[in-house]
Amino acid sequence: MAMQEFTTHSAEETIALGRTLAPFLSSPGLVLLRGDLGAGKTTLVKGIAEAFQAASEEDVTSPTFTLIHEYRGPQTVLYHIDLYRIDTARELETLGLDDLMADNAILLIEWGEKFERFVKERKVDIALERVSENERRVRVMQG
Amino acid sequence: MPDTYILGIESSCDETAAAVVRSGEKMISNVVASQIATHKPYGGVVPELASREHLRAIVPVVRQALAESQQSYQSVDAIAVTQGPGLAGALLVGISYAKALAFALDKPLIAVNHLEGHIHAVLLEERQKGNRELAFPVLALVVSGGHTHLYLAEEKGAGWTYQNIGHTRDDAAGEAFDKVAKLLGLGYPGGPVIDRLSVHGDPKAVKFGAPQIKHRDRNDRGKPEDTRPHFDFSYSGMKTAVLRYVETHGLKTSIEARRKALAGIAKPKLEDYLANCDRETLDLVASFQRAVVDDLIAKTLAAAAACNAATLFVTGGVAANNELRQSFEREAAQQGLPVYFPSRPLSTDNAAMIAAAAYPKFLAGDFAAMDFSAEAGMRL
Repeated sequence: MAMQEFTTHSAEETIALGRTLAPFLSSPGLVLLRGDLGAGKTTLVKGIAEAFQAASEEDVTSPTFTLIHEYRGPQTVLYHIDLYRIDTARELETLGLDDLMADNAILLIEWGEKFERFVKERKVDIALERVSENERRVRVMQG
Repeated sequence: MPDTYILGIESSCDETAAAVVRSGEKMISNVVASQIATHKPYGGVVPELASREHLRAIVPVVRQALAESQQSYQSVDAIAVTQGPGLAGALLVGISYAKALAFALDKPLIAVNHLEGHIHAVLLEERQKGNRELAFPVLALVVSGGHTHLYLAEEKGAGWTYQNIGHTRDDAAGEAFDKVAKLLGLGYPGGPVIDRLSVHGDPKAVKFGAPQIKHRDRNDRGKPEDTRPHFDFSYSGMKTAVLRYVETHGLKTSIEARRKALAGIAKPKLEDYLANCDRETLDLVASFQRAVVDDLIAKTLAAAAACNAATLFVTGGVAANNELRQSFEREAAQQGLPVYFPSRPLSTDNAAMIAAAAYPKFLAGDFAAMDFSAEAGMRL
């Protein structure tokens, strides 16, 4: 189990960190994005999606309302998933996330820690924490 | 040109809706089966629940729309349906039903983009009032729980063209309303409650900074063709500011008490909300709403000036917000710009807007193939 810690000082730095982390995310894989409202989860995904050439940073927006956003890169398909509004296993089942898990897919899941199975199945765990107005601490755990 | 009756069907998110519109300018019927009662315990739209509710509602809703319009399956000229954007499972219910109807009745089928529908909700109502003097180009702000988009819209020949000149970088404005309402223990949906409570608070009590957005120079990134001006939005920061306020002012306990109290009331009225909100919460709510409204208006007016827009449309669920309407009318008038809103029933999702948007496509013979499918992330 390897853990790395980063500190960013602006949204731009958080996006840049997303680009830096992208090579460490491999498909098929499940990535948990943890952090409170406004911690920078969607911001980090902007950088990850850009690195996979799956979407430009301005096209990555919050999936809270729509639940699943799909970003297709040349090699990899990213699914940006938000379980903020999903509370029960029955509701989760209706999303059919297992059907998304193809060989070339990476699932980036916000609020996934609400469900034990994702905590067990995750390949990478990224925890974002707000330190101050612009500063974020990002802990990345693999394995 | 004889009158054309189009049956519209919409099921992209919360609402199962059907409507009959004559020649894009007269709403004959408009039926919406609101599902908000189903979604309330979950604090939002849950896809399978939505699909299940759509399945249950779609046949009676279409029947009622036909009955109220004194039309029949046989008498309508075409079937129009929302193709996207929206929840895939929910969209498929409307699309499958529309396809089956079109196939069985041998009628043309028209696929409509939901966002285009919101723009045509305004056009439909203006034409219905006899207003045919709209000056172009129109700048349309489509603002709801899932969308915050600016489009320059023009009528060209038989069809319409739309140019996206701005969108949210993170949360849609309506999503920010919903999240702030949930965060403050006010329940779902958030917009109407916040709107009604805001008049009881001081909108200047809490300061929210205007969202800062860095517009990258797109020419540097190998997209030389993209030199259009951009007016993007961002509401994640305001949502976070509310959370921060709650934490630093020790409001968590009172919020939990409010959540429990309101959950115990079947259909809370304004008095129930007020009885469970202290002055500090009312001020916070009013200040949040004012900040969102001011930002929506400032961005839209700046975009209107940059694009020489002649007319403004404000449409989508958040267009039902009272403060947004009043402030928009006041500030647009100062710029000499006419601004049009849909009536409240046509601000939120409905099928009349889908039937209206389908009319120019009907005239142009722009029909959908039987094998078209839902497009959850569809763009306009």
